[in-house]
Amino acid sequence: MKTAAMFRSQLNRTIRSFFDQKGYLEVETPSLSPDLIPEPTIENFGTRFENEFLDSRELYLIPSPEIYMKKLIAQGFGSIYQIGHCFRNSEQIGRHHNPEFSMLEYYSVGMDEQDSVALTEELFASLVPKDGPDHLKPPFDRLTVTEAMWQFAKVDLDKHQSQRSLAQEARRLNLQVPDEPESWEDTFNRIFLTLVEPNLPQKKPLVLDRYPAQIDCLAKRDGNYRKRWEMYAGGVEIANCYDEERDPEKVRSYYRKQYASLVQERANKESVIPDADPDFADIFTTFPQCSGVAMGLDRLQMLLMGESSLEGVILFPFSGTLVSGK
Amino acid sequence: MIKAGQIDKGTALLIKGQPFICVDREFVSPGKGSAFVRLKLKSPSTGQSLSETMKTQDNVDDIMVQDRDSQYLYNDGENFHFMLTDTFDQIEVPMATFPDYEFLMKDGETYRCTFWESQLLEIQIPPKVVYFVAEAEEAVKGDTVQGATKYVTTETGLKVRVPIFIKQGEKIRVNTETKEYLERVNN
Repeated sequence: MKTAAMFRSQLNRTIRSFFDQKGYLEVETPSLSPDLIPEPTIENFGTRFENEFLDSRELYLIPSPEIYMKKLIAQGFGSIYQIGHCFRNSEQIGRHHNPEFSMLEYYSVGMDEQDSVALTEELFASLVPKDGPDHLKPPFDRLTVTEAMWQFAKVDLDKHQSQRSLAQEARRLNLQVPDEPESWEDTFNRIFLTLVEPNLPQKKPLVLDRYPAQIDCLAKRDGNYRKRWEMYAGGVEIANCYDEERDPEKVRSYYRKQYASLVQERANKESVIPDADPDFADIFTTFPQCSGVAMGLDRLQMLLMGESSLEGVILFPFSGTLVSGK
Repeated sequence: MIKAGQIDKGTALLIKGQPFICVDREFVSPGKGSAFVRLKLKSPSTGQSLSETMKTQDNVDDIMVQDRDSQYLYNDGENFHFMLTDTFDQIEVPMATFPDYEFLMKDGETYRCTFWESQLLEIQIPPKVVYFVAEAEEAVKGDTVQGATKYVTTETGLKVRVPIFIKQGEKIRVNTETKEYLERVNN
């Protein structure tokens, strides 16, 4: 346990010195928030502020510090980074998941998602020792989602932009697609998770670029795709990057749509429905060109230490809580 | 009907009319995507493996299974022969369906078996089993490298890599899933 603690301490120092030297400001933003970015696929933890003499108020544990970091960028903070704790409910407990985890999030003002690849390669050069394993060393391998879907599933994404035709492709590949209607994104993930993700090359870190536009998020759209990449190392997904959407109208419409589908999906369940700030989009009237990367710090440490599970990295993993039955 | 998210190791399912047993389950949540579950399934009748990824909300046909004690009698090179201990009925199961199980099961030993109607779906081998070392190579003299190992063969014919101090006639505990040596067992 102490080895992992010492490793983390050194890892944090290296990361801080890397970003400090580049002129990024380290920030600390709240973990408890009165509202979150609506993301139907991320379940949340909710709690309550209570004081006998004041109004009580629902609060939510952040699944990422994005909402606050973007507010700072809109205020002209320039490039910033943060190492902090994030919380996601309902996820699997185990090798690569813990409901509370550490995130390294860095936003680079004036840069796009391609610049963020180069920056992340530089970061890895400073983190991975010269005699370290190749699967963690830069330069990273590059593939677009379209290329990967073609290479491993022989599905031409450009041709199958409708759910119906993509579902036909999935059935051709012998995958189970239910008869009930589902989103294009769900059908895409059936193919991607079964045939593509497990076969992605692992010799070098991999940047999987240009996600389908149907997967709605706050990354800029570019035709049928989004300026978004995910990074895999040793087969483990460790980072997500956007060229951040800056158009207030687009952010507003994202909020509206995603909040509606979040409420709809959770209405009959006991899941927490976090509030969304109806005025969040207003900060984008003064938002500079910017690219943000969110990296799972526990997973990064797991890979750097050559561990196969977060249990060797997180000092008091949640799985321990479950086993001891407390 | 159950939700795919409820499937666990050992859950029996009917897929395209065929019974399958889940041998491994992993939840996956793609970045910005719904929750999925990645399943490794095995068809007990053909031994065929199947990888399926389903949304945790997908409906799946599960089947009612029953555990019964069965005594392993012998194999004839093609079939395993079992006797159900409650009815004394004898059954045959193609060995190809349970690859390598002939090296894990002991003649005369009783195992919990999972049945769907009359079909044997799974033989439950305990995760850790003590075996008798039937054959052991002599440790090579002068081989003083720390952690040096050699192979031994158990009474069931299982080849296991063990530390060089293990001798013929001793007992060892083995992880039956990985087929790895765990420890020496003193009588």
